[in-house]
Amino acid sequence: MGNGETPAIDVIQRRQFMKATAMAAATAVAGGPPYALPVLADEPADGAEGVEWNKAPCRFCGTGCHVQVGVQGGKVVAVAGDRNAEVNKGLLCVKGYHVGSALYGSDRLTKPLLRDGDGYREISWQEAIKTIADRVEAAPERFAFYGSGQWTIPEGYAAQKFMKGGLANNHIDPNARLCMASAVTGFLATYGVDEPAGCYDDLDACDVLIMWGNNPAEMHPVLFSRVVDRRSRGEQITLIDISTRRTRTTEACQHYLEMRGHGDLAIANGVAHLLIKNGTYDREFVESYCNFKVPDDANPNLHGKPISFDEYKKQLEPYTPEHVEELSGVPADQIRMLGDLFGNPDLKITSLWCMGMNQHTRGTAINTLVHGIHLLSGHFGTPGDAPTSLTGQPSACGTVREVGTLAHTLPGGRVVANEAHRQQTEEFWNLPAGRINATPGFHTVKMWESFCTPTDQGGEIGTIWVQVTNPGQTLPNLNKLFNPKGKRDAGLADKFLIVSDVYPTATTRLADLILPSAMWVEKNGIFGNSERRTQQWFKMVDPPGDARDDCWQTIAVAHELFERGLKGMADRDGRFLFEQKQDDQPVPIWEWEHYYDINVDEGLFEEYRQFTRMKHKDLAPYVEYVNTRGMRWPVVEKDGTWKETRLRFSEGYDPYVEEGRGVQFYHSPTDDDRAQIWFQPWVPPAEVPDEEYPFMLCTGRVLEHWHTGTMTRRIPQLNRAMPGGYLEMNEADAAAHDLENGDQVKIESRRGSLVMPIWIHGRGQPPEGTVFIPFFDETVLVNDLTLDAIDPFSKQPDYKKSAVRIKKVS
Amino acid sequence: MIASVVATLEGPPNATARLLSSLRALPGVETGPFDETTRRLPITIESPTPMALEETTRHLRECRGVAFVDVVFVHFETEPEHPEADFR
Repeated sequence: MGNGETPAIDVIQRRQFMKATAMAAATAVAGGPPYALPVLADEPADGAEGVEWNKAPCRFCGTGCHVQVGVQGGKVVAVAGDRNAEVNKGLLCVKGYHVGSALYGSDRLTKPLLRDGDGYREISWQEAIKTIADRVEAAPERFAFYGSGQWTIPEGYAAQKFMKGGLANNHIDPNARLCMASAVTGFLATYGVDEPAGCYDDLDACDVLIMWGNNPAEMHPVLFSRVVDRRSRGEQITLIDISTRRTRTTEACQHYLEMRGHGDLAIANGVAHLLIKNGTYDREFVESYCNFKVPDDANPNLHGKPISFDEYKKQLEPYTPEHVEELSGVPADQIRMLGDLFGNPDLKITSLWCMGMNQHTRGTAINTLVHGIHLLSGHFGTPGDAPTSLTGQPSACGTVREVGTLAHTLPGGRVVANEAHRQQTEEFWNLPAGRINATPGFHTVKMWESFCTPTDQGGEIGTIWVQVTNPGQTLPNLNKLFNPKGKRDAGLADKFLIVSDVYPTATTRLADLILPSAMWVEKNGIFGNSERRTQQWFKMVDPPGDARDDCWQTIAVAHELFERGLKGMADRDGRFLFEQKQDDQPVPIWEWEHYYDINVDEGLFEEYRQFTRMKHKDLAPYVEYVNTRGMRWPVVEKDGTWKETRLRFSEGYDPYVEEGRGVQFYHSPTDDDRAQIWFQPWVPPAEVPDEEYPFMLCTGRVLEHWHTGTMTRRIPQLNRAMPGGYLEMNEADAAAHDLENGDQVKIESRRGSLVMPIWIHGRGQPPEGTVFIPFFDETVLVNDLTLDAIDPFSKQPDYKKSAVRIKKVS
Repeated sequence: MIASVVATLEGPPNATARLLSSLRALPGVETGPFDETTRRLPITIESPTPMALEETTRHLRECRGVAFVDVVFVHFETEPEHPEADFR
């Protein structure tokens, strides 16, 4: 309000200034070129009234848009798309638009809370830390840590080191197991190393963009608008949507291939069949750079069994377009259309996928098949030719896949089962030899199943500490994997659930100890997005009340255990596992008052960076990320400058490809610099509709809400735009059941039931026999219905195919 | 509440001209220069409440001929003369 003497003029002037700033920002973005203009912080400050601008990646999805965050009076008051950010070129989606408001919901958690009968009592942080340490100390082998792809890289790294280095316990897993584990196993089985070879630049170069069970118009709208924008400018680009229901993405596509669940396996095989039958596969690429594989049914693993090209060809023979039509429901002509596109060497083809291919009991298989048709057709390794998986969380790649917070992994692509990897990790962490446990811990479904099983019936996990995620809403089959914790007669009285979060959630309702956390720009952070881009930001505002950084919480518990003499919390020289020094003196970072005396993130990141070179995922020093909007690894120093990598495995782009090799898969699982093209047979889903449960249920997300809605449902504009869960149903199915828009229906599966309204001709349009429910609404938990069947390799559940029945509720 | 968005327009020139006229008539909406090359239109939206801002943005998104609406900037500090907008 300025000086208070002339409020009306002050307000008008401020509004005029903000409006001019807003128009300038929009005009600059609209007219491009996007990099020719300064960021807002560099613009004249006249009238800015003390708004301080700084950069951060958006808190929400895995796209990794950068925002400019405006802070005034200790609060975030404005956000703007960052014109210097290559990812979003100044644009934001509706969620990014409101990301600042996500900090200021009225029910932020501000005090540690300990269960006391049916309620909670406030406790001090000291008591909270001691409570956790008591649980760990009593049974370290029964303790588990459950995190997410929303952990920052330092947070995940600290949790990983605490568990695997400190407790010699591998029971740590992230919720990313539920969203992209099959992408990981797909990359490993194909290239021997995780994460996409391509990047978002492919969206600017491709002639054909194929979305495999992916709805980027709602889930990754800034990326999708980048493609739509090209078409609006008159560029020729063919958009193809392969999906089980019509979505907003479908509306923008020239071709819609409506398939049944698991139809994607048949479609990919059908394309490969046509490439070989028509002689349009890229013989030179295949002979130079590829091997062929089939699954080893007797000994299932990611290496499979080698086969010849002729054997591969024979396996594909049944997958004629007509047979694929029978299996998938997609007309044979559309299969031929896809085959012709892949068979055209003059086109650039990019494939995108996300949950549709990953949340799949054959997720690893379909991932390898899509990589396979890109390799077989030679649509790989040049700008615009790329098979690229997207992630749903801001650091699923950075924190989960690169730091290695999965139950079987160690940092930098290492695994606990590999002795050399354990030794390297022990060396980096200065641990006594043999400290790290060689047995993988429990993956997500197994961890929660164990937690919800009484101890005397073999339920080994006694305590779980959850950070930055909401398993009480996202786990499949909640009545088996989470809800028993809340039942007095379930025999789980000795189990203890600790939850660090920013708001009350479906998970905190069953927690024994709730810890208030800082979020996003209330703390320092580093994320790694879907295109291998590592992004850094600084703390800009204080968290509310006694909320504190998740990383500090982990370090404080570790130090409490160190003080109690738990050997694992000391390195082989007796020093605290998380010791950080300033002027050669240890800084007591376990004391909140001193946590920000130094940049703890920088210390952890520099330690972690040592791990990244083995798999050629090299990261630059922390300070290099401070001055950029992220860099895509491998980031390699050349002539004193740190250079990022746009395309992996391709000469001229990837610094690790040897001269004259063209394409070199230098982490090949067959040690011959070749990628693997797999044959994987079509198999039906784990559960299919029958007379008793005649509908196939698919679950998913909506534009307005990010995942379980814990942040976006606190933003009134978003909540009003999409206030509650609903069942999408086909008009003919609704008529057959005498249902009209808005009718309340009971949806039942073999695992649970819920009641909600139906929506016909709503956001999406499922075909007959299929229904859809979004999972953002904590008042109607769709995962009471879903199946907990998992992919045998990735251990990822299938949230897209559960059989249900539907009845009108009078 | 002040925000700016960029609308990507599609359709023939005469339809675009009609669309531009209708957008300019919306209350609280000001349009910048339409870029024929990029097909992008910068727009500022001024509204008394966050709800109204969201309504206008949604309306823009649903207009025929608007392919996409991307947000560029939003100033969501509550104005003192609109206490009902204090959603924080």
